[in-house]
Amino acid sequence: MATVTCKDFQGRFELPEDLARGSSPGDLSVQAHLRDCPSCRSFIEDLGKIRAAAAQLVASDPEPPARIWFSLRAELEKEGLIRDTPSKTPSKSWVRELFSGRFTALPRPVLAGGYLAALLAIAFGLSGPINSRINRQRWLDGTQSSTEPLSAQLMSAEKASFSSFPASESPVTASLHQNLEIVDNYISLCENSVREEPENELAREYLYEAYQQKADLLAQLNEQ
Amino acid sequence: MARVRRIETPGELPESEAIRLAQAGNAAAFERLYRLHNRRVYSLCLRMVGNTAEAEDLTQEAFLQLFRKIATFRGESAFSTWLHRLAVNVVLMRLRKKSATESSLDEMTEPDEESGGPRRDFGMPDLRLSGSIDRVNLQRAVDQLPPGYKAVFVLHDVQGYEHNEIAEIMDCSIGNSKSQLHKARMRLRELLHESMRDKAREDRKAAGNAGGED
Repeated sequence: MATVTCKDFQGRFELPEDLARGSSPGDLSVQAHLRDCPSCRSFIEDLGKIRAAAAQLVASDPEPPARIWFSLRAELEKEGLIRDTPSKTPSKSWVRELFSGRFTALPRPVLAGGYLAALLAIAFGLSGPINSRINRQRWLDGTQSSTEPLSAQLMSAEKASFSSFPASESPVTASLHQNLEIVDNYISLCENSVREEPENELAREYLYEAYQQKADLLAQLNEQ
Repeated sequence: MARVRRIETPGELPESEAIRLAQAGNAAAFERLYRLHNRRVYSLCLRMVGNTAEAEDLTQEAFLQLFRKIATFRGESAFSTWLHRLAVNVVLMRLRKKSATESSLDEMTEPDEESGGPRRDFGMPDLRLSGSIDRVNLQRAVDQLPPGYKAVFVLHDVQGYEHNEIAEIMDCSIGNSKSQLHKARMRLRELLHESMRDKAREDRKAAGNAGGED
């Protein structure tokens, strides 16, 4: 039986998976080394621990935020990759998914505190400064119960955006309008949910996120 | 493995049907494909870049590239493998770009065994990682891996892909995938030992300070 050194042992890149099922003469000498060498035993134990911890990492991954799909869809439409008539309202099953399982199990994403303010600042660049920004933490805590200030600001920004458009729309603008309609539907669903369950933090978070999405779209419209 | 929920998004289309419809530009089919795979792609991006905003951006970019090319998908490989190959490429490209602007080239190139590869201190004292490894510490160590090691480690040990799938995703040999994984784990072990030693040193210092105050 060939002698295995620590260098041979720790250099075997099949380890540790293949070690357990080894039966060839080479593997037997590896196993003999493992029996006699505490350093290589701790090496194998450590790799096992790393692997076990890595498998747990995925469980802590947050759900991808809804805004990724909104932006992606807007881009697909912009590039003309979506060639059929888009549905104007979210499908019932999608809404069900959004408002049931995810609301109870979804870990709260960590959002940068100033993100909304920055988006709104861009969106409202043409319509004046924001005087009464909603405080995200107070809103999520439930100590600020109304979204009216934010809602009203978005509405006035929307009006300002629409009034600045020429009579004939470009395909991109038309697509952005379509997305705005979708987001508006989404917002009204979220608002209903928050009204029905004011304590539901995730419903509030989703509504907050929907407002961000709308602000983002308005910003894009203003850029057109 | 993470909680897997049955997704009921648009019309319960089977993946193959969704691919066919997406090739014809059907919006619901795009959404179906996105919802089938977004979690894994987002998770991959997040583990690779360690930053949610960037992970969102990269997820969108990976799907965008996928949908731009979907008409060319002929089913030679699994759809998810194809998507992951795109996602890994998108992430590696971003990391390369970042590396070019933010750090030296040395940090980007994977260290080889001769120079900066995982050190083989075979005579070093018998250190053992005590207890189970904290997720935060592990992620911190993963963040320090060179991109190539990191990609293989995330795909294999975090996401559960087999070496033959990784070889297809990364466009490399199975042996190469195994080798990269082994080096990644060795490097992680070193990094975790380093952080363990740092912590022990800090604890000793804190205990010394506390003793001095008595």
